[in-house]
Amino acid sequence: MPSFFKNDMSMKSHNTNCLIKLFFFTTMVLQTTLVQAQESAKEEDFFRIMKVSSPEGTILEVGGLCTLPNGDLAVTTRRGDVFIVENPESARPFFRKFASGLHEVLGVAYKDGSLYCVQRGELTKMTDTNRDGKADVFETIYAWPLTGNYHEYSFGPKLAPDGSFFVTLNLGFPDDWWHPRSMAPWRGWALHIQENGTMEPWAAGLRSPAGISMIDGELFYTENQGDWVGSGHIMQLKKGTFAGHPASLIWENIPNSPVKVTQQQIFAKIDQRREVDQNGRPQKPQNIVNEQFMTVADMQQYVPQLQLPAVWMPHGILGISNTEIVKIPQGVFGPFAGQLLVGDQGQSNLNRVFMEEIDGQLQGAVWMFRSGFQSGIIRLAWGKDGTLFVGESNRGWGSAGDSNQGLQKLIWNNRLPFEMRTIKVMPDGFEIEFTKPVDKKYTEDIASYTVESHTYKYHAVYGSPAVNILKHTIKGVKVSPDGMKARIIVDNMRKHYVHTITLEGVRDQENSYSLIHPTAYYTLHNIPQGKKLELGEVSTKNSAIAVGAVGAVSKNSSVKTSSSTKPATYAEIEPLLKKHTCATCHKTDTKLVGPSFQEIAQRKYSVEKIVDLIYNPQPANWSDYAVSMPPMAQVPKDDVQKLAGWIKSLERK
Amino acid sequence: MKWYTCKLDDDGDAGTGIYNHFLLAFLRKYNFNNILNMKKIACIFCGLLFAFTTVAQESVSLNDLSFFKQPPSSWKLATDVKADLSSANSLITSNGTGVLVNLPGKSAPGADLFSNLEHGDADLELDYLMAKGSNSGIYLQGNYEIQLMDNWGNARKGFDDNGGIYQRWDEKRGKGNEGFEGYAPRQVVSRAPGLWQHLKISFQAPRFDAAGKKTENAKLLRVELNGVLIHENVELSGPTRGALGAEKKMGPIRFQGDHGAVAFRNIKFTNFSKPRPELGSLSYAVYKGLFEKEPDFSKLRTEIQGTSAVLSSNFSNLPDTFLIRYVGTIKVSEAGDYNFNLLPGGGQGSLKINNQVVVPFVRRSRPMKVTLPSGELPFELLYSKFLDWAQPSIGLTISGPGIREYRISDANSVAPEPVDPILIEATQNKVLRSFIDIPGRRIVHAVSVGSPSGIHYTYDLDNGAIAQVWRGNFLDATPMWHERGDGSSRATGSVILLEKPVLNIASLSSSSATWPSDTTRTGFRPKGYTLDPEDRPVFKYNIYGTKVSDSTRVMANGEGLTRQISILNPGKDLYVRLASAKTIEDSGNGLYVLDDKLYYLKIEDAGGAKPVIRDANNLKELIIPVKNKIKYAILF
Repeated sequence: MPSFFKNDMSMKSHNTNCLIKLFFFTTMVLQTTLVQAQESAKEEDFFRIMKVSSPEGTILEVGGLCTLPNGDLAVTTRRGDVFIVENPESARPFFRKFASGLHEVLGVAYKDGSLYCVQRGELTKMTDTNRDGKADVFETIYAWPLTGNYHEYSFGPKLAPDGSFFVTLNLGFPDDWWHPRSMAPWRGWALHIQENGTMEPWAAGLRSPAGISMIDGELFYTENQGDWVGSGHIMQLKKGTFAGHPASLIWENIPNSPVKVTQQQIFAKIDQRREVDQNGRPQKPQNIVNEQFMTVADMQQYVPQLQLPAVWMPHGILGISNTEIVKIPQGVFGPFAGQLLVGDQGQSNLNRVFMEEIDGQLQGAVWMFRSGFQSGIIRLAWGKDGTLFVGESNRGWGSAGDSNQGLQKLIWNNRLPFEMRTIKVMPDGFEIEFTKPVDKKYTEDIASYTVESHTYKYHAVYGSPAVNILKHTIKGVKVSPDGMKARIIVDNMRKHYVHTITLEGVRDQENSYSLIHPTAYYTLHNIPQGKKLELGEVSTKNSAIAVGAVGAVSKNSSVKTSSSTKPATYAEIEPLLKKHTCATCHKTDTKLVGPSFQEIAQRKYSVEKIVDLIYNPQPANWSDYAVSMPPMAQVPKDDVQKLAGWIKSLERK
Repeated sequence: MKWYTCKLDDDGDAGTGIYNHFLLAFLRKYNFNNILNMKKIACIFCGLLFAFTTVAQESVSLNDLSFFKQPPSSWKLATDVKADLSSANSLITSNGTGVLVNLPGKSAPGADLFSNLEHGDADLELDYLMAKGSNSGIYLQGNYEIQLMDNWGNARKGFDDNGGIYQRWDEKRGKGNEGFEGYAPRQVVSRAPGLWQHLKISFQAPRFDAAGKKTENAKLLRVELNGVLIHENVELSGPTRGALGAEKKMGPIRFQGDHGAVAFRNIKFTNFSKPRPELGSLSYAVYKGLFEKEPDFSKLRTEIQGTSAVLSSNFSNLPDTFLIRYVGTIKVSEAGDYNFNLLPGGGQGSLKINNQVVVPFVRRSRPMKVTLPSGELPFELLYSKFLDWAQPSIGLTISGPGIREYRISDANSVAPEPVDPILIEATQNKVLRSFIDIPGRRIVHAVSVGSPSGIHYTYDLDNGAIAQVWRGNFLDATPMWHERGDGSSRATGSVILLEKPVLNIASLSSSSATWPSDTTRTGFRPKGYTLDPEDRPVFKYNIYGTKVSDSTRVMANGEGLTRQISILNPGKDLYVRLASAKTIEDSGNGLYVLDDKLYYLKIEDAGGAKPVIRDANNLKELIIPVKNKIKYAILF
């Protein structure tokens, strides 16, 4: 537990007393000006990650997790095993091998005494009929066609309230993998399957739907950034939904398909970007920085079945490959009960989501919740006592946590963290609710807040940078008398944009801690009608304007360009690394998703070469790394110049 | 040109070699009637031909026994041979040529057969077929034996079992201790008697100094049995038991004939007797910079220079990008064709021999063939490394007729980190689903079933068919479980591919109606499988409105698999397709031999129905009408 620095006033000499007072005073002043006080609490002070012990040699590349009614945990792996883990919360759980030899099991569900799992090629019902602890009947409920392409992963099942099943299917990666295709029926679709094996196609337009989830009896999923997917996001899949990726639409004219969108409708408006290089070979299309583009919301004007993402998970900041969504049960994780947690495979972290429905449209806020898991998070399941079990693997892709497997658990220590609890959209801005009362002085200060908004392109290029970035003016703040809420008036709110709301200056009343996660990303679709705040009832105090340089060192202000050719220090570079999402994949001295900056420096490139490689990465130079770096065309030249200079300075002479 | 003396043997025949056979045929054609003259001429030509021997692999003709020296009477030729599975040492032959058979008997006692030619380093490849309970062997140079044995039904794996390198023997070691060394095959990959087995051997002869003292042991570089590597780089400290004599530079190929009936065919032989070219007088110069075109050396500054005994890039002070130029001589002892393969690390290279460009200075070159005269020829090699972070390595190998490929440059390899293979053993009955690749096709809903007896099969759920069977170890799952993987695994033992999977059950209007090519209008639907108490699967599917149960079991006697297909409510006109193969021979009593003696099929319980062999698509099909069940065995 962090300790707030308290001065021991019982010193003997007067001089020392004075010195102490001076020191203390200075420290206090510095506290008000230092933005991220060293002593503020961190995630790990409230939520502890622990491992689930398993017998040595058990390979747990987890692809499926579910809790059984008696509290046992069913764990399925990418090696084809199904384990039942008894007493999973204990210090020594018992592992029983229920089944093995299955083909990459990426999900499991329990129903009426049987386990249902999804393998690459089918939905299988596994039953232990002679009750010896091992499955002996493996019934094929429904098998789907495959071409044998490695990327045709299949996920699920998730149980609908009526006992039927949902399954989602990945697209295949041809040689020009940047244009994935649906090479067999139903790849890129969600299927609805009955116990008796009848199947109805449910939704199309999926690309990489590993995060198939049920929330309150409705089917949702997370999509992963890729072509046609500017950033990962949460989306609801209703029957007949078109989720956005056109490849799977080649099957839409099969008789019982509820999706009535054609590829032609999409390609008539947006260029497919099928490009070749000077040798006539297919090449990966790149983002064009200055161009006219469409967003998902733009496209929805023409294709009403195109579903809008409920909540965008900004790429490289909150994650790079989103996976399962779970709802926090009542009575679990304190103030966050009822909210959602979303796993990420690439950044090995969990995010927290608060969703609301405005005029029939889902939207809401997402925050970073907990990072530091040992591998890529794929599956989540709640234990009976409020433990969150986390199933992990990164084999083939790399992740922030560098183990290639993991079964861990997340436990809350019942202490209250200082966080934003919810953010709700208001007719004239946002209302933020906190978990603990705030210190009014800072919370009423407009300078404590920044709001920026951006969106993503809907195009055939892999991913999209944040575009149409706008900084918003905050006109006023109203803090509730109990200090639990702050409502800000934000001008120019834009429908269908992600609003990045940062509360850098807000402090809690009790300890003057800053928020553990001061940044929220609110996906705004609809603005509700209702009563706006009067200017008379809000604070318009803004210490940034009044006080000047002292006390206004905000992380969001741009770093002053130094005109000298001296390479920047790490402290100067760090905000750039975060802002441009370099830090997502690169650390200074350790391998992460990409090579460390020191290792890059050892290649002895010139600064110009490093600049070029940031804009035009050459994955072939780093053949040991499974994930290719995307071109960072959206990063401004001076920032790239600075980053390149700093990387060069790491070269060992 | 050297003159060889040909020895005239007992009949007055010249001890003829392969070439003489062709020559004699040529001479006969042109009606040289004087036999003795013919043989003398043949003798002379034999010598001439040997002098210019630079051959690649060649087939030993079995149109007569001329390849062999004084063949003992138990050895004969036939056009086809069949084993009687019920009696030991019994092979039935059909008159003709093409197959070499040993049939020891009272009037023709079994004895070993020797080739006329003698070999040093060599590759030998052949098919062999054992009679029931038989025992034979192949001796390289007459001295080093690979055991051939009928091990059907027992998974014994010793030096004296099929494919083993036989033990050495020395009485002086004392009673009970005379036998030593001998090497068991890595896997048991044998086939049943009466089936053709394929053996591929790469042999390196012992080396001797000028005084005749042995300086290097003989080696079995590679032995592959039925497509599986069973020995690799095994050093032979001396001749195995029952050797012809002392170790020598050259020796004949010897086929054991005194232990049982055996047949051979498709004998192919490659002699590597040509001496390797040697480099000499090497001097080098290293230039710093990035060279994608050959520079004008006179204008460049040398960073490092000197002389070297070996062709190497192992310098400690090389710049990141450079060009090394080696100049020297290459001593070619025998004129002829040579292949040079240059694979430089992180760049490109070129090779000039005798002032001719052999390998051009371009990226991604391929192996280049050149004809060289004998002598000490000028040699120039350029190696330009332009990938600054790559490891330097020259990577020059030489091969050619009479020369097994070897690396002549320094072995500083740029090979990537080796991968730990992920091998699945079936120490208990085991099921593993994966993609399985067969020629031309990837089976996407495949279930492989392994057993501790070393007999395994793969079932295709999309057709209700067995795609392949094998003996040996179970599966290599590295292709699917290393990194992202491709979802597939591979059988590690010796695979017998059955037909390309199609539905095994069909409704036919008559026994000559075409077998359906897909599942349309059959109502086919896979239903998965159940595991019995020993974890063996019984596959289930629906077809034609009824339920089918398909169960395959390893036979207790280890001879193969038995399969039983049961149909709950069979409609009329249902047939089961038991096999589709190039050839199907009816051996009587429900036993069939398929695909030119690749495997057997034995019908055990057909409920009285009569099987039909018919033609379809240039192949033979074996189909049988079925009611409630059919039971048959796949023996291999």
